[in-house]
Amino acid sequence: MDPLVSVALRLLVWVFAMLLVAGVAIIGPRQLYDVPKDLIRHLRDARSYVAALLLVLVASAVGRGPLQSVSELVGLQLTGFIYAVEGEFVAWLQTFAVPELTLYFSWVYVYGYVFLLAFPFLAYAALPSSTMLKRLILAYTLNYAIGLLVYTLVFAHGPRNVMPELVTSLLYTFDPHIQSLTGEVNEPTNVFPSLHTSLSVTAAVFAVLTRDRYRAWTPIAGVLAASVVVSTMYLGIHWLLDVIGGIVLAFGCVYLSYRVVDADGESDDRHRL
Amino acid sequence: MAEGIRRREALAGIGVAAASAGCIGRVRNIVGRDRSSQLVLEILVLPTDSDPVGIRIARSLSEHLNAVGIGTRIETVATTEIRRETLINHDFDLYVGQYKEAEPFDPDALYGLLHSRFTAEAGWQNPFGLTEVAVDDLLEEQRTVPNEDRGESVAELQRRVCDLQPFTVVAFPDALSAVRTETFTGWDTERPVSLGGLLSLEQADSEESDDPPTLQLATTDERITTNWNPIAAEHRRHGTFTSLLYDRLAETHGDEVVPWLARDWERVDEETFRVTLRDSTWHDGTPITASDVAFTYAFLRDTSMGGTETAVPAPQFRGRSATVVDSTVVDDVTVDLSIENVNRAVAERALQIPVLPEHVWSELTDPATVAGFEFDEGTTEALVSNNEDPVGSGPMRFVDSTAEASVSFERNPDHFLVRGDEPHATAVETEAETSDGDGGSDSIEDSGGSSPNPTEGIPDVYHGKPVFDRLEIEVVGSDVAAVQLVGDGFADGTASKLGPDAVPRIGREADATLISGPSAAFYHVGYNTRQAPLSNFQFRQILASLVDKATLVDDAFTGYARPAASVLNASPEWVPDDLTWTDGHDPVHPFYRGDGEDGGLDTERVRQALRDAGYWFNERGELVTRS
Repeated sequence: MDPLVSVALRLLVWVFAMLLVAGVAIIGPRQLYDVPKDLIRHLRDARSYVAALLLVLVASAVGRGPLQSVSELVGLQLTGFIYAVEGEFVAWLQTFAVPELTLYFSWVYVYGYVFLLAFPFLAYAALPSSTMLKRLILAYTLNYAIGLLVYTLVFAHGPRNVMPELVTSLLYTFDPHIQSLTGEVNEPTNVFPSLHTSLSVTAAVFAVLTRDRYRAWTPIAGVLAASVVVSTMYLGIHWLLDVIGGIVLAFGCVYLSYRVVDADGESDDRHRL
Repeated sequence: MAEGIRRREALAGIGVAAASAGCIGRVRNIVGRDRSSQLVLEILVLPTDSDPVGIRIARSLSEHLNAVGIGTRIETVATTEIRRETLINHDFDLYVGQYKEAEPFDPDALYGLLHSRFTAEAGWQNPFGLTEVAVDDLLEEQRTVPNEDRGESVAELQRRVCDLQPFTVVAFPDALSAVRTETFTGWDTERPVSLGGLLSLEQADSEESDDPPTLQLATTDERITTNWNPIAAEHRRHGTFTSLLYDRLAETHGDEVVPWLARDWERVDEETFRVTLRDSTWHDGTPITASDVAFTYAFLRDTSMGGTETAVPAPQFRGRSATVVDSTVVDDVTVDLSIENVNRAVAERALQIPVLPEHVWSELTDPATVAGFEFDEGTTEALVSNNEDPVGSGPMRFVDSTAEASVSFERNPDHFLVRGDEPHATAVETEAETSDGDGGSDSIEDSGGSSPNPTEGIPDVYHGKPVFDRLEIEVVGSDVAAVQLVGDGFADGTASKLGPDAVPRIGREADATLISGPSAAFYHVGYNTRQAPLSNFQFRQILASLVDKATLVDDAFTGYARPAASVLNASPEWVPDDLTWTDGHDPVHPFYRGDGEDGGLDTERVRQALRDAGYWFNERGELVTRS
C-alpha cells in the first residue's frame, strides 16, 4: 500500500475510535445518537461559517504552493532572527528525550491533535443551540486564514532544519511515512506561527468555556492541548516563538469568534464576515 | 561616546557645541567617520531537509566565528533561492554549498569558475567576484600549453587559488545512495544516479517480462518537477536528469571523452574542430541538423542572439561555450567549430554541452518580461523559462509532472542508443541490413555503407539502453523518508543527498543497499570577494583556518568524505604534493587547533592573526569594522 494511504488510514481508524469512545463517555450515548438528526439543522444554521471554513481550507490546499513561492521571494527571512532570539531552547528541551516520551509526543502530534480538533465538532453539534458550533468553526477558520497570511509574510525553517546536530527530527525519524502525510498539508517553511499550537489551544479554550456542559472534556482537552504544544517543540518542528505566536493567535481567534457570534447565535451585523 | 545615543542626536548636539567653539574642522573629522560596529556575516545555507551536511558545516563555522568575536547569522533558504542569491544576484556574504559537477572534472572548469572576465555575469561563472591577474594568466596558460606541460600550470594555478581562497574547499563527499536490486541490477558502485550510472542499469533476472519496467527514484529536490531548463543555473544540481533529456555532443566515460550526439570529431587545423553528427531526431520528430549545433554555441554565448546591447550569456556551460568563438555549418550533419588556440583536453570539454533545438530556443531570445514589464535587460526568456514540455533529443523524454510531488519520463524509442541495439533483437535476423547478418557483433567496421551503426564509438555498456521504459521521480520530505521508500519497496533508489540520520537506517532496511562513491561535488564555503572585509585575501585565509575540516568529516559527513585543500582533489593526478592532504594535516590553511583536550579552537591565536592582518577588537572582544 502507498505509504501515504496507509498513514491516512491509520489516522482515520485512530480518530474514529477515539471519537466513538469519547462521544459515548462525555456526550452520552443518547445525545450522540441524536447528533445526526440535529446535524442538518445545525449546518443550515451555520452554513455561512461552514462555507467560510471550506473556502479557507480549499484556498490553503490550492494556494499553499504558489504562496510558498511568493514567501521565498519576498517573505521576511526570519530563521536567523528567531535563532538569535531564543537560541537553543528547543535543543535543551530535546535533552529530556527518551523513547517513551518520543512515542507519546509523536502519537499526540498526529492522532491526539486531530482528535482534539474533531471532538468539539461532535460535542457542540450535540447541543440544542448552534452558537458554540458557529463560534468553533469561525475560530478555526480565522486560525487558518491568519496562519496562511503570516506564513506567506514570514519565511523561516524550524529548529530541526537549522541545528541538526542538536535537534533531531524525532517525528520523522520515528516514522518517516508521517512526513508524506504532513507534506500533503504543510510546507516545511510554514513554522511561524505554529498552527498545531493555535488550533489546539483554541479547542482547549473552548473546552474551558463550555466546562459547565462537558465537565470531563475540559481536563482532557487541556492535557491534550498542552501535550500538542510541547510536542511541536519536543519533536523539533517548531520554535518557542512559533508556539508563543500560536497561543496569541488562538486567544485572538476565540475572542473574535465571541465578538462576531453573540449568545443568541446571531452574528452581529457590524461584524458579519 | 555612549553606544546607545543615536547618531543623528549626537551629531545635532555636537554640531551646536562645535559651532560655538569654532573648532568645526576637528569635530567634522571625527564625526564624519563612519562609526564602527561588530562585523556580522550572513551565511546562506540549505535547510537540513534539503542538505543535511551543509547546515552542519555552517553551524560549525559560525560557532568558530562567534568564538573569535565575529557575529554571524545563518539563514536557511530554499534550493533555488540560494542559487539565485549567490550565482545571479551576487547578494551574499558567505554561503555553504556543493559544486555542480559530480564527476571528476578537467582543471579547465576553473576557467569559468574563477576568471575575472566572468565576474559581472550571472551564473556559475565566477560567483565569488575574484579579479586576480595572476589567476587569470594561469587560467589562460593551462588552456594553451600542450597537454604534457599542462600539469605544471595547473599545479601553480591551484597554489594561487589556495593562497587567495575565493572559496574554502571543505571536503569531497561520498555520494551516498540507497538502492534495491529487486528490479534493477548493475547499479554503478560509484555514481549510481548519474547519466552513465542510470544508463548502465540492467534488468534483474527475476523480473524478465515482456514490458520493460519502471525505474522509481526518490529525491528531496523538487526542482525537477517544475523546471526542465538545462541552462537555468538555479534549478540544476548536477544536471543528471536534464542530460537524459538533452544529449551532449560528447560525454565522459571514466577518464575518457566519448562521442555521444556527435559521431566523431577531428581537428582539421589549429583552430578548427570538425564535428559530424549522428543521425538523430528531436523528441518532436524534427531531425537534428548541424545548424542546431551552430545555434547552440551562439546561443550559449548570447541567449539574446544579438538582440540586446550587451550579450546575455547562459549561466551554465560558460567556460565551455567561451572556447568556441564561431561555428560554420558545412552540411546537414557536419559543423566546423572555430576554437581559441587551446589544447585537446580543453577543446573536448567544449563539446560537452547539451545541444538545443533551434526551432524552440530561437523563440526565447527576447528580454524576459513579467506582465509585459521588463525587469532587467540582462535577462532573456530563455534563462527564466521553466521549459515546460521540453523538446530534447536524449534517451528519455518528458511525460508529465505534478509540481513539487513527482515527474515521469519515458524511453525515447528513436534514440540512437536504442536503435543501436536492434540487431540484438530476435526478429531482426531476417531483415538485417548489415552485410554479414551477425546480429551479435558490435564491431564498427562492419557498418559501412548507407546505414552506419547508430552507436558507433559509444561504449558497449550503453548499447540498447536504458532498460527501463519509464523513469518516475518522487519528491519526499527528507533523506530519511527517501531511504524508507526504498526500504519499503516503493522506490528503486534515492537520487538526493543522504545525511548522518539516513545512513544507519539503510542498514536496518533488509532490502536496501548503501552505495557510496567519491563525488567531485566538493563542499565549500564561498565568499563574496566583492565587499570588505571578504575582499581581503588575508581575512579569507583566516576564515579558511576556522573551518575544522577533519572534525567535520567525522561528524557532519560521518566519515563519508575526504577533507581537502585543493579544488581538484577528485582528480588527484593534477594535485601537486604540496597541496595534498596527508596524515590528517591540511597543507594550506590548517585549523587553529588549541592544545586543550577537546581539540577545539585556539581563539587567542586567531585573534592575533586577525590583529596582525590589521583588524581590531572592541573592549567586548568583538571584531569591529566601519559600516
